[in-house]
Amino acid sequence: MAKEYWRWKEYNWQDEERDWRSASMITGGVDVGSVSSQAVVMADGELFAFSNMRTGSDSPNSALNAMNWALENTGMTIDDFDFIVGTGYGRVNVPFADKAITEIACHARGGNYMYGPTVRTILDMGGQDCKAILCDERGKVTNFLMNDKCAAGTGRGMEVFADLLGIPIEEVGDRSLQVEKEPPPVSSTCVVFAKSEAAGLLRDGWPQSKVLAAYCSAMAHRVFTLLERVGVQPDFAITGGIAKNVGVVNRLEEELGLTALKPKHDTQIAGALGAALFAKALVEKGKARKKKTSVST
Amino acid sequence: MFSQFETWYRDRHDYARRWKERTGGKVFGCFCSYVPEEILVAADILPVRVLGNHEPQDVTEQHLFGMFCPFCRDVLAQGLKGRYEYLDGITIAQSCIHLRQTYRSWEENVPHDFTYYLPHPMHVASPHAVPYLYEELKKFRAAVEQFTGKPLSDDDLDRGIRLVNENRAALHELYAHRKGPVPKLSGLEAMWVTVSSMWVDKEEHTAELRKVLAQLDEREEQFGDGTRLMLVGSENDDTDFIRMVEAVGATVVTDDHCTGTRYFWNETPELDDRIEAIAKRYVERPACPAKDHVARTRFPHILKLARDFDVAGVILIQQKFCDPHEADMVPLRSYLEENGFPTLFLEFDVTVPMGQFRIRTEAFLEMLMEEDLF
Repeated sequence: MAKEYWRWKEYNWQDEERDWRSASMITGGVDVGSVSSQAVVMADGELFAFSNMRTGSDSPNSALNAMNWALENTGMTIDDFDFIVGTGYGRVNVPFADKAITEIACHARGGNYMYGPTVRTILDMGGQDCKAILCDERGKVTNFLMNDKCAAGTGRGMEVFADLLGIPIEEVGDRSLQVEKEPPPVSSTCVVFAKSEAAGLLRDGWPQSKVLAAYCSAMAHRVFTLLERVGVQPDFAITGGIAKNVGVVNRLEEELGLTALKPKHDTQIAGALGAALFAKALVEKGKARKKKTSVST
Repeated sequence: MFSQFETWYRDRHDYARRWKERTGGKVFGCFCSYVPEEILVAADILPVRVLGNHEPQDVTEQHLFGMFCPFCRDVLAQGLKGRYEYLDGITIAQSCIHLRQTYRSWEENVPHDFTYYLPHPMHVASPHAVPYLYEELKKFRAAVEQFTGKPLSDDDLDRGIRLVNENRAALHELYAHRKGPVPKLSGLEAMWVTVSSMWVDKEEHTAELRKVLAQLDEREEQFGDGTRLMLVGSENDDTDFIRMVEAVGATVVTDDHCTGTRYFWNETPELDDRIEAIAKRYVERPACPAKDHVARTRFPHILKLARDFDVAGVILIQQKFCDPHEADMVPLRSYLEENGFPTLFLEFDVTVPMGQFRIRTEAFLEMLMEEDLF
C-alpha cells in the first residue's frame, strides 16, 4: 500500500495526575471540522483530556469517535458532562451536544485560553478554510473575515502537496525552509491548479524543497491578505493545523512584521477548547444539562 | 396570513398569464426599478419586474462578459429560456451597464412587440436631472400611447399615480409593523410582499395587503426573539438566503434593496404637470449607488433606516461584480460602523453558498449578542 504522506498524527491525551471525579463541573467541546475532529474535556475549566483525529464521512460518527477517544481510559462517559458544545462544520450534527456555536467564536475563545488575554488577532488555518478573527481580552469576537469558497491556503491543500511530493506532512514546513533563495510563490490560488503548476516545476527540475517553499510562500501570502483586510492587531496568534507548519508561519510572520505567540497546546484543539469553555460559561449561567441522559457511547 | 403573497412570489408567471387572460391587457417586462410604472399602469399595462430564478444555467455565455454580475446573467437566462414568453413589451430605465447589456441581448434574441430603452439621469443630485427625465418621460409616454393606440389623459395619469402610490403607502404601513420591539412579520414574509408587488396588479396587491394589515395587530405569532438585522445592497429576492438568516436567530426588520425599500419608499407628489411629478419621484427616490455619485445621499438615508428600525447590525450583500455597489461597500461599511452599526459583508452569486453564508451569519449574530457565553 502506498505511503500516505498527508497523514498527520492522530492521538489522544489526558492529564493523568488529575482525578476528574473531584471536579465540580465537567464540560466538553467537540469540533467536527471538514478535515479533522477534536473532542476536549475540561474539569472545572481546566484541560483534562482531548483527542485529535481525522473526520470521517459521517459527522455524527466523527463526533462520537472523537469523544469516545478523548474519554478512553478515563472512566468518564458522556453522561458525566454538565454541558457539551458542538462546533465546526459538523456542529449541528453532534448528537450528544447541548448547543452549537460557530468555530469562529470558539477559536477566538480557545485562542484566548491558549495564548492569554493579550491576544487580539487569531488566524485559524483550518482544513478547508481560513478565518482571520479579531477579539477582545475575553476572547469575544469583534470582527472576522473568512476566505471564499476555495480550499487554497488551507490544510487540505497542504496535504495534497505532501502527497504530490512524497514528503510527510510534519516535515513539509522544515523542508520548505531548506532553500538558499526564496523562489517566487506558485501563482495559482486554486489547489487543483497549484498542484498542476507544482508538477510542472518538478518536471523543470526544481528540488522538492523549492517547490514546497513556493507553495508555503503562496499560502502565507494568501492568508496575509486576509489578515490585512481585517486589520491585524497585536498580539497575534495562529490556531488550526497549519500553525504547526513553520514554512508557512515563518513566512507569514515576516510578511506581517509580527511574531506569532507560541502555543502552549496543540493548535488543532483551539476550536473544541473554546467550545468547552463556552459550555462552562453556560453552566455557570444556570444552563447545565440534565445528568444521566440516555446517550450511548 | 401571507400565503397569497408567497403564491404570487412563487408562481409569478402563472399570475401574469392569468391576468392577461382575465383582463385582455398587455404586460411589459421592466428591467429596473427606475421604470416609471405610473405611466404603464395609466395605460392599463401590467408592469412586471424581470428577475432571475437562482438556478445555474448555460445559455448566457455568448451574450455577457464574464465579469458581469450574476443577476444580469440570471435575468437574461429567463428570457432566452422563454420563461417570460407572455410579455408584450420590455423596457429598461438606464441604471447600470450590466443590466443594459442584458436588455440589449434580450431585445435582439427574444421577439416582443414593444421595446423601449429609457435614458435616465445617472447623476440624480444634479439640478438638471428632473428636467432631463421630464423630457425623456414625455417621449416614453408618447411611445406607450402609440403602442396602445390610446392617448393618456390627465385622469389616466392620475389613476396610474394613485394606484401605484396606494400600493407604496400600504407597503410603508407594513414596514411600520416591523419597527416596534416585536415585529409583526418576518423578513421572509416582507420579502414575499414587496417583491410580489413588482408584478401583481397594483390594485389587487394593495387590496390583499390591506386585508393583512387589518389583521396584523391581532397576530399571535411573534418575531421579537431574533436579533434585529437590516439588509443592504444590490438586487435581492433570494428567499432561501433570508430564510436561512432568520433560521439561525435573526429577524430581518428592514432593508435598502431595489427589490425592497428603494422600490417603494417615496410617493409621486401631486403636481399640475403629472409627468413632472413622476420625474421628480424617480429622481428623488432613495438612490441606487449607480446614480448616487458624488453626493452619496444613500448613506444618511440608510443610517436613518437603521436607527428608525432599531437594528443591531447590518448585512451588506451585493451581487458579485456589481461595480456600483462594490464602490460603495468600503465607505458604507466604515460609515455604518462609525455610527455604531456592526456590519457583515457577503457576496451573492446566482446560487448562494449556503454553508459558508450560514457560518458567517451565525458568527456575526454571536458577535452581536452572545454575552451569555462570557
